[in-house]
Amino acid sequence: MILIVGGEGAGKKTFAGKLGYEAGEMADACVNELPVIFHVERMVLACPENAEALYEILLKKEVVICNEVGSGVIPLDLKDRLGREAVGRLCIRLAQQADAVVRMVCGIPSVIKGSLPETAGEECL
Amino acid sequence: MLILLTGGSGCGKSSYAEALCMKLSMPRYYIAAMRPFGEESLRKIARHNTMRRGKGFETIERYTDISSLRLPERGTALLECICNLTANEMFDENGTFEDPAERVLRGVDALAAQCSHLIVVTNDVGSDGFSYEEGTAAYIRALGRINAELARKADHVYELVCGIPIVRKGVLLF
Repeated sequence: MILIVGGEGAGKKTFAGKLGYEAGEMADACVNELPVIFHVERMVLACPENAEALYEILLKKEVVICNEVGSGVIPLDLKDRLGREAVGRLCIRLAQQADAVVRMVCGIPSVIKGSLPETAGEECL
Repeated sequence: MLILLTGGSGCGKSSYAEALCMKLSMPRYYIAAMRPFGEESLRKIARHNTMRRGKGFETIERYTDISSLRLPERGTALLECICNLTANEMFDENGTFEDPAERVLRGVDALAAQCSHLIVVTNDVGSDGFSYEEGTAAYIRALGRINAELARKADHVYELVCGIPIVRKGVLLF
């Protein structure tokens, strides 16, 4: 599994495209048979207590895309705070199991753990 | 040696900071700046306490005025975290709105002078793009300035992302 993280609009899905996945292979915050899932943070923020069940499912995906949501002012609402923390903790566990972790900044990928599959090619980076 | 750790909420700063301390010289001090107030902070403190159990840390609770703190011996200290400390200096009953950045930075300097290794945990709160009322806006500015100044003084600066340290200054020690 490859974990791709970064802020909103940082180029995460575009990068998944460079890994060879088409838009139709990416599931938007829902669990199905597609190899790629994105907006994992929305699923956790909506229901932080589901993070554990989600973790097991996400491990079976080829690519998991999650927004980084832990920076910025601490939210006033308790549920938002717990959700933000849960997203972070889930990403730590996913990163531990991932073959590669890619962090996107301004559309630029940094491989911060492992390496990309050889099929990905040099032009990805 | 001063090491600064930054990163968002739930990115693994505390675990990484403790793991670093375990590789550095004894004795180990944990300087806790989070005031135990309300169920949520008590839970967080309990979680951190459990994480540190059996690792030989002496916990010192200090919510403001770090510069007057005297460590019993030279060793390794972990200060967690600058976000709470800055908020305490600004908004607590004992806090003062006057130049909190100066107080926090003076505190870190005083602490660094008393230990072989000081690890400081902070967070980036200025990146959400929202506008806040003046008190919060002043806090964001103060914390941003403190972080920049701490990074300038630090030997090593790491940003934690999904539990993985990204070197922003210096080198990865372990």
